[in-house]
Amino acid sequence: MDRRKIDIYLSTFLIIISAIILTDNNLVEGGAESNLSSMFLPRFAACLIIIFSLTIAIQSLMKLTKHTEITANEIIPTEGLSGVFIYIGILITYWIAMLYLGFLISTPFIMIAVAVLLGGRRWGSIITMSIATSLLIFYGSKIFLRVYLPTWTL
Amino acid sequence: MFDNIISGFGLVFAVGPILGIIAGVIVGIIFGAIPGISAIMAIAMILPMTFYLGPIVGITILLAVYKAGIYGGSISAILLNTPGAAASFLTAQDGHALTKAGKAGKALDMSLFASVSGEMLATIVLILIAAPFSLISLQAGPIEKVFLLLFAFTIIGTMAGESIPRGLLSCCLGMLFSMVGMSSITGASRFTFGYTELMGGFTFTPMLIGILVMPEVFNVIRRRKDPQNKLTITRSPNPEDNRLSFKEFRAVFKTILKSSAIGTFVGALPGLGSSPAAFLAYSEAKRTAKKPEEYGKGSVEGIAAAESANNAVCGSSMIPMLTLSIPGDDVAALLMGAFLIHGLTPGPMIFFEHTQTIYAIFAGFLLTDLFLLVIARAGFKFFIKVASLRQYYIFPCVTAFAFTGAYTTGQNMDDIIVLIAFTIIGYGMRLVGLNPAVFIIGFILTPFFEQNLDQAMSIVGTDYWQLFTSPFSWVFIILSILSVISSVRMRKKPVGLPKGKTA
Repeated sequence: MDRRKIDIYLSTFLIIISAIILTDNNLVEGGAESNLSSMFLPRFAACLIIIFSLTIAIQSLMKLTKHTEITANEIIPTEGLSGVFIYIGILITYWIAMLYLGFLISTPFIMIAVAVLLGGRRWGSIITMSIATSLLIFYGSKIFLRVYLPTWTL
Repeated sequence: MFDNIISGFGLVFAVGPILGIIAGVIVGIIFGAIPGISAIMAIAMILPMTFYLGPIVGITILLAVYKAGIYGGSISAILLNTPGAAASFLTAQDGHALTKAGKAGKALDMSLFASVSGEMLATIVLILIAAPFSLISLQAGPIEKVFLLLFAFTIIGTMAGESIPRGLLSCCLGMLFSMVGMSSITGASRFTFGYTELMGGFTFTPMLIGILVMPEVFNVIRRRKDPQNKLTITRSPNPEDNRLSFKEFRAVFKTILKSSAIGTFVGALPGLGSSPAAFLAYSEAKRTAKKPEEYGKGSVEGIAAAESANNAVCGSSMIPMLTLSIPGDDVAALLMGAFLIHGLTPGPMIFFEHTQTIYAIFAGFLLTDLFLLVIARAGFKFFIKVASLRQYYIFPCVTAFAFTGAYTTGQNMDDIIVLIAFTIIGYGMRLVGLNPAVFIIGFILTPFFEQNLDQAMSIVGTDYWQLFTSPFSWVFIILSILSVISSVRMRKKPVGLPKGKTA
């Protein structure tokens, strides 16, 4: 994937967001009087973001219009990205599962899913490792850190 | 100062800190040696577990993980030719050539001795310089601090990013994200959109793990179909090839000293990090070497130069953090966050407000080197075996630990959403060439910047010209301009980094 095109889209997005920060007064609520307005620094950062985004966008646009040869840094590798999307799905599932099933039940399944995604097929050792690690973390946190990880709420 | 150092050693010679150092060294070497896991990932994952420990034990563990992790990176570089960071590229070049020649033991020994020597020398410099330098920086008031922080943003943004606009944009995005929530000055809620959960801002640890650790897991998953090589030590029938003799160490000792000095100096400059240090020291060693043609083809001296400079940065990158509140590189930024979480605000006042604690941490820093030497030397085979575990055993554990770490901070399920969101943001940043480490530095420093700017405005009122009456202000303005100019000039020159790698 050509990163120069992404640069233009991203810069446009950041410029729009920065313009909203610069113009919208509803982004801040309440607060005491001070020498420095609450929105001074966010707006200062927004101005800088506009400048740097514009610089990046103009550079990329010039390269695209001049049909400059694409460098290694300007290529976004797309091979294997499907795995990344699956992993993001696993992370979101883990969050939802932890809310309802708790840490101890959800973690082994999620660890097995990640192991399978990475090509693991030694079921015995993967299942043992998943259960052992979950137990270790759950009771380790409880006993040593006094942190109670989420439990079953169904 | 020497009384403080002795009392620091007194505090660190206790069961808790010693066990912490041992655990930190073991974890650091293992994590560093696993291809795909770096020292910074190891620190980010261990950080939540130290919340419930005292600052001496907690910070000492993190520093031990840092030092051992940097050294551990050289194991995979030498045995697999997979440098975890650009700084290990040179070690991989010479070290792997030695491995192929059956001299892996010699390369690993050289790497260990050079790492420990470099780290130790830099730590001594840190101890001797930090406190006196903090006396000078104590003279700085809010106005000077504003310009100092502007200088920090400029130098880190210009030096560390893939390009100057991308580095500075990363820093500005970090600034913007740090302003979400209640303003510490006015109490106003900014960018919360009515969500009370956002009033406290983004929780630091989940954000940190998301930005720095999890995108590395994404990278491993993306390359999951690539064959995974196993770490093995090649052995020569000649025993001399499998170890480093004292004569060989003595022959390269001058190089180690010189490279450590270069590493210490470069590490003390904010924003440069370990890669330029390793490259500078390596080229200097090659320039003055008797056999420069051996460099890159299995030179023991080459490993000594690169590793001692690379590791010397560990200690010296703490100098700007402890004296000026400016983290020198990404790991220093992470450690600065850890100091803040443990109730220690890095800056010149730390030497007066937490004298005993800071000198105990320094003592722990020195002790770590000794433990690293002993533990790494004794357990080479064990560490290599653990680091050789298949990635489908390692990364499910990383996922579980990352979730636990994110939850542990505030025992709040919302922090998990922060983790997932910043994981995606962090990976996206990497894809478009933005620098997550600079983002983190911007995030950490902005509250200090806003506080000092508010105080500076209270001092000058409407007479804004008074901001420029202090000579320190002008010094930092000139330094900021010079840093941008030198960065532009540096980027125009080819630096010899491998394609696709950035410092």
